[in-house]
Amino acid sequence: MTGISVPGSIGKAVRPDAVARRIALRLVVGVGVLWGAATLTFLAVYLIPGDTALLILGGPDARPTPEAIDRVRQDYLLNEPLAIQYLHYLGGLLQGDLGQSYRLRIPVTEAIGQQIGSTAQLAGAAALLALPLTFAVALASAQRRPWIRSLVSGVEVVCAATPTFVIGFVLLMVFSFSLHWFPIGGNQGPASLVLPALTLALAVFGPLSQVLRNELDDVLEQAFVLTARARGMRDAQVRVRHALRHAVIPVLTMSGFLIAALLGGSVIVETLFSRQGVGSLALASVYEKDLPVIIGVVLLSAAVYVVVNLAVDLLYTLIDPRVVTA
Amino acid sequence: MPLPRPARFRTHRTLTRGATLAVVAGLLTSCASPAGTRTVPADATPVDGGVLNVSISAEPGCLDGHGISATQQQFLGRLIYDNVVTLDDDGEIAPYLAESWDISEDGKTYTFHLKKDVTFSDGSPWNATVFQQNLEHMRDPATKSPLAAAYIAPYVDGTVIDDHTFEAHLEYAYTPFLYTLAQSWLGMNSGKAITESPETLCQNPVGSGPYVLEDYQPGQSISYAKREGYAWAPEWLGGTGEAHLDGVEVTVVAEPVIRYQSLVSGQYGLTENLAPQNAAAVQADPAFTYENLPRTGSPYVLGFNLNREPFSDPAVREAFAAAVDTEAVTESLGFGTYTPIDSYLSKESKYYDPSAEGTLAHDPERANQLLDDAGWDSRDAEGFRTRDGERLTVEVPTVEASAPSPLLVQLQGEVRKVGIELEIIQLPQAQLTELRYAGDYDALAGVWHTNTTDVLFIRYHSSEITGERIGQNSSYVNDPELDEILLRARGAADGPDAAEAYSQAQHRLTDLVPGLPLYENPSQFAYSNSVQGVATDTSHPVPVLTYAWLAQ
Repeated sequence: MTGISVPGSIGKAVRPDAVARRIALRLVVGVGVLWGAATLTFLAVYLIPGDTALLILGGPDARPTPEAIDRVRQDYLLNEPLAIQYLHYLGGLLQGDLGQSYRLRIPVTEAIGQQIGSTAQLAGAAALLALPLTFAVALASAQRRPWIRSLVSGVEVVCAATPTFVIGFVLLMVFSFSLHWFPIGGNQGPASLVLPALTLALAVFGPLSQVLRNELDDVLEQAFVLTARARGMRDAQVRVRHALRHAVIPVLTMSGFLIAALLGGSVIVETLFSRQGVGSLALASVYEKDLPVIIGVVLLSAAVYVVVNLAVDLLYTLIDPRVVTA
Repeated sequence: MPLPRPARFRTHRTLTRGATLAVVAGLLTSCASPAGTRTVPADATPVDGGVLNVSISAEPGCLDGHGISATQQQFLGRLIYDNVVTLDDDGEIAPYLAESWDISEDGKTYTFHLKKDVTFSDGSPWNATVFQQNLEHMRDPATKSPLAAAYIAPYVDGTVIDDHTFEAHLEYAYTPFLYTLAQSWLGMNSGKAITESPETLCQNPVGSGPYVLEDYQPGQSISYAKREGYAWAPEWLGGTGEAHLDGVEVTVVAEPVIRYQSLVSGQYGLTENLAPQNAAAVQADPAFTYENLPRTGSPYVLGFNLNREPFSDPAVREAFAAAVDTEAVTESLGFGTYTPIDSYLSKESKYYDPSAEGTLAHDPERANQLLDDAGWDSRDAEGFRTRDGERLTVEVPTVEASAPSPLLVQLQGEVRKVGIELEIIQLPQAQLTELRYAGDYDALAGVWHTNTTDVLFIRYHSSEITGERIGQNSSYVNDPELDEILLRARGAADGPDAAEAYSQAQHRLTDLVPGLPLYENPSQFAYSNSVQGVATDTSHPVPVLTYAWLAQ
């Protein structure tokens, strides 16, 4: 970053054709990312040693008949060479068919569809808690006295460094086991959403708040802030109207992290709180080598990334038009 | 019956992590029972209504008993299914959907006289044709049955004599036939559903049982509602007519410590699986009932692979067994809730013979002597025994987890004392499965629950060695004498002949030492005393909720 942005210039002169080109390019890259993710996951799971047919039929502790084993191999093309299995899989993908779950014996789209609402609810609630918390804490603590900064920074580090499982468990012990304020997990009603969402929010809040505050610290040292103060603006106004706009860009860049933390965290949070969701589905599928579902979940995550990155990209251009012309 | 993969996985992992969490939880919480749970007099009159919330450690992913082998089906199956026969309180075959049956002299033809006026929840009737359809559905390769199909393998075909008379023809005399028909995995599905939409049975099974499936969220919850007009419960349940409860709501709660806490907090009235580390706390609380019941069949055994070195040598097998202090290992593993055993058959099983006990006692001196005599008399730098420069090593594969199986770690320490190296090999489930069927291991730990003593055939008859067909003789026992006894036992009608044959088999196994028996395979569940009328059957010692009720 060179020079000093003049606050008044932001928000103008975004050329529509440049934006359209940018979106088109992003979409093409996005499709490539999805294809790559599907291929890599397919290969990774394929390469796990072990006989998938026997695993589907109960693992080491079962007595499947030879006819049942043959049938499973046929149904899931397990006797075919890798290339055929892969092409068949890609062909299905193009038609929106993610295949059939080995374990649940229903289409993968249906299996994920059943769970996605619950995870969206959890991740959405966590984001709704985490973002305001991040902005409030960072705005309030940037460029304050050292002891305030140390205290806040300490809290952030604890939130960022403590495993989600531990955060969740401590919350459970305090608010569910001891105080009985919230149910111990489950999907029943809004009360059951509070602790899981808070757990996930705290895990995300730590790193986000650290980045935002560091940026704010830098921005608040810049000359235009001094100018603004010199014009007699109140401190809160300076922070929110001028400094935040500049400091928020690195936070936006971290949305990838945010999504990863929310999706990854949901695996742990859903298991700990006995919640329905894509995370617990993914975990069960990995245990059972339920290849179609694993790939489905990976594709879903990749698709979310692509969409979020596209959205972030557009937001950049709104916040700072120089991004397009650069 | 197999221990399902997720459950076993969890058992091992949670013994370490769960235990730690439980200790921490215990320190920070009072564990007080919520107000309102109180003891209800035993002779109280059942109250109708209410929904019982149940927590369960895992769910099978498919609810059609014919298509799965999961442990949880023992409990879940009893809610929606009825069986052709049942085992009564004494473990004897008793009428259920069949009122009576005749068995031909040669044991190969079974004529079932079926109960009339039984309907499935889709309105379709129960009759001889439906029985036949069910047997066909079990063995249809499309059902992908990991268990039921093998249990009825000797079934050749059947004849519908009339609407309520069915004749089943077996390839050979197979006394376990009726027993297996009483198991949860072999409950009867609606014939209409089997014909019209067999592919939906996994997600939407249709039975004739005391409850009807209302909603199924895989991996999360299963909701059941009372079956209106139910009137054909087996006699041993001591009730007639519909269930008392309006419904049962089963929720998957994977973490043991959460299952425990949500039970004592009153969020769930019953948990199908209470981890050993929480047993003492629940037992001490008068507001709860704790059950710890052994499952019949094969107890938990570390099975030796008799097919290769070093366990092909009987002396090494005996030495290994003598080296381990089973009682101490079991005590520590199960927090005092596991029952050590030194036989290859659960004490609860029919024809269990106590005279075959006691020959596997802990005796390190004898273990050392046996190994010395067998030529493993030198020691290497690390103190392990060697013979011709080769170390006495035993490879035991297990499913990979965050921490190695506590059982194997303890056994490792025990046999180390006599100079045997036990190597724990952690593998992903799929690889473990492949290796298991390839016979590429020295020993494997496992259980097999079934309600018939034919479990000894399944585990130790040479025809059950995996070859063309998958078998559960993972110890590769191939002993003509034992084969003859087991075949005779399987064909013998219940009575003195069967008792004698099974007694011989147990003694023969004690001589062969095909593994190290460890402890009974327990069913451990707990419920609040506000839940009344919880029964357990003798096929599977799991809670049966047909006439359970909630005290107001």
